[in-house]
Amino acid sequence: MVEKRLLSDYIWRFVLLIWGSSILLPLIWIFYEALKTNVEFFADIWALPSKANWKNFSNAWTMFGIGQSVLNTLYYVGASLIIGTFLVALKTYALVRLEFRGRKLIWGLIMLSLFLPGITALVPQYVLMRSIHLTNSLTGLVILDSFGENVFFLLLLAGFMKSIPKEVEESAFIDGASLFKVFFRIILPLSMPGIVTVAIFRFLGLYNNFIGPFIYLSDQKKYTIGLNIYNANTMMQYKSNWVTLFAGVMIVLIPSIVVYVLFQKRILEGATLGAVKG
Amino acid sequence: MLHILRKSWYQKTSTQKHIFILIAIGPALLGYLLFTLYPNITSVYYSLLYWTGVTKPDYVGFDNYVKIAHDHFFWNALYHNFLYTLIIPPLILIISLFLAYLLTYKGYRESSFYKVLYFFPNVLPVVVISLLWAFIYDGNFGLINAFLKMISIDIGEYYWLGHEKTAFWAIIPPTVWAGVGFYVVIIMNAMAAIPKSLYESAILEGASHTQRLYHITIPLINGVLRVCLLFIVLGLFRNFELILVLTNGGPSGSTDVVGLYMFNYAFGSKVGTATIHDYGYASAIGMCLFVILISIKLIMDKFLPDKTVEF
Repeated sequence: MVEKRLLSDYIWRFVLLIWGSSILLPLIWIFYEALKTNVEFFADIWALPSKANWKNFSNAWTMFGIGQSVLNTLYYVGASLIIGTFLVALKTYALVRLEFRGRKLIWGLIMLSLFLPGITALVPQYVLMRSIHLTNSLTGLVILDSFGENVFFLLLLAGFMKSIPKEVEESAFIDGASLFKVFFRIILPLSMPGIVTVAIFRFLGLYNNFIGPFIYLSDQKKYTIGLNIYNANTMMQYKSNWVTLFAGVMIVLIPSIVVYVLFQKRILEGATLGAVKG
Repeated sequence: MLHILRKSWYQKTSTQKHIFILIAIGPALLGYLLFTLYPNITSVYYSLLYWTGVTKPDYVGFDNYVKIAHDHFFWNALYHNFLYTLIIPPLILIISLFLAYLLTYKGYRESSFYKVLYFFPNVLPVVVISLLWAFIYDGNFGLINAFLKMISIDIGEYYWLGHEKTAFWAIIPPTVWAGVGFYVVIIMNAMAAIPKSLYESAILEGASHTQRLYHITIPLINGVLRVCLLFIVLGLFRNFELILVLTNGGPSGSTDVVGLYMFNYAFGSKVGTATIHDYGYASAIGMCLFVILISIKLIMDKFLPDKTVEF
């Protein structure tokens, strides 16, 4: 639909630019403030730094103990990502492609969670975790996040696995392959696009998870990176070393930016899938 | 032949199949029952207890619900939820619809870049979003005060989140800012499914963009808009992390919402004026929230019927 460029077009493009800037400018602002000294920062917040003070980043790293929290985050996000994604793939395959007694019942039971608002379960979940000694433990969080239900991923993968032709599986069975072999050699590779999408969304969900670590981790040495920066901000009220905090926030942002730049196409597609199913 | 082979395979391997199903579904199902279903069911029972979490729980029957009815902190929080529900969803929907329309039908060179950029806040950790806006609102070095100063309005060191009058309103821009991108993408997808021919004939008859938006686009994507609205409203009642980080409900409860109030009763460092945790009371508030969420869903189903037009 090619139309004439009118004066109104300049206005509309300006509107689009404004919304875009509202997202980009604050992030750029934080980035260049993170390169200033505290003196420069308080003198004029608009001015660019006289020279790039990369030391703020290493200061933030040591002052807030980001190294430790990066390791914690790697463990928490990595383990939950691998275990959780594998479990959901295995479960989806069994529920979607195999026939057995009780399948419909189990499917219905899982779909029930669509009607449960997670928020009311926070307290009993905490009491449960406490009674099995899994509070203040990253492993506890891994278990909770890998085994707790997420219907969104099940539905997303179910769509992918249903579209694999039955013949592929059957010919393998006739050749004498076991179910395990079929799952690992045929189903997993063929549903890889779906599994990657699930893994990306799991990553975002886990990395951005704030309330879980906030409730369950009381020991500062176990903090994830998001919780760590939240804590650092609370301490700033007494320290007021803002440029270092800004650098810390930038460090937390880096994984999000990298993942988004690498996978933006899949993320945008996956978001729509979720809404249609939701 | 194939049929016989297949049958014999099923018979031969039925034990193997059972083992596979047990391994595939067993742990996941057990985890689901234990970590999701069980807590949701027990929260009903918990709401009948008085329990600080440390001492033994006392059974108090419906006392918690009576207490909620008289708890003005609760009603205050619920009132904020309702105000936000009146203001935020229309803002998000109108902005998203407008931006999505421009991106879809104006065909500017930069459109595809904007689509990706607009979605970006949705992948950011909520802590980062909150801190970013806390910096923007800061009285000492915040962007807003600096901007006002630039256009010669000097209001001194005004902390936007520190005053009852402005803190409530200050929650709205970050929520809208963080939400719009997702709905732009959803709405753009819905728009892409509308047949081009409809617009072409409308253009031939001289319909303006505004007319096309009102008479073609909106009626055709009505169903999607409805789902979006439900998403936003339910999200407003469910999510409280942004407020938790920005103000934790303060100053003097001016930004408190029900979810956060419940959370603070169970896990927070301060509750209203006291610092006592009560798992029972928190669960009772959770049950009320559950009822509210269900009612919203039912009310929206009744008053916003799905009028999607087929094409």
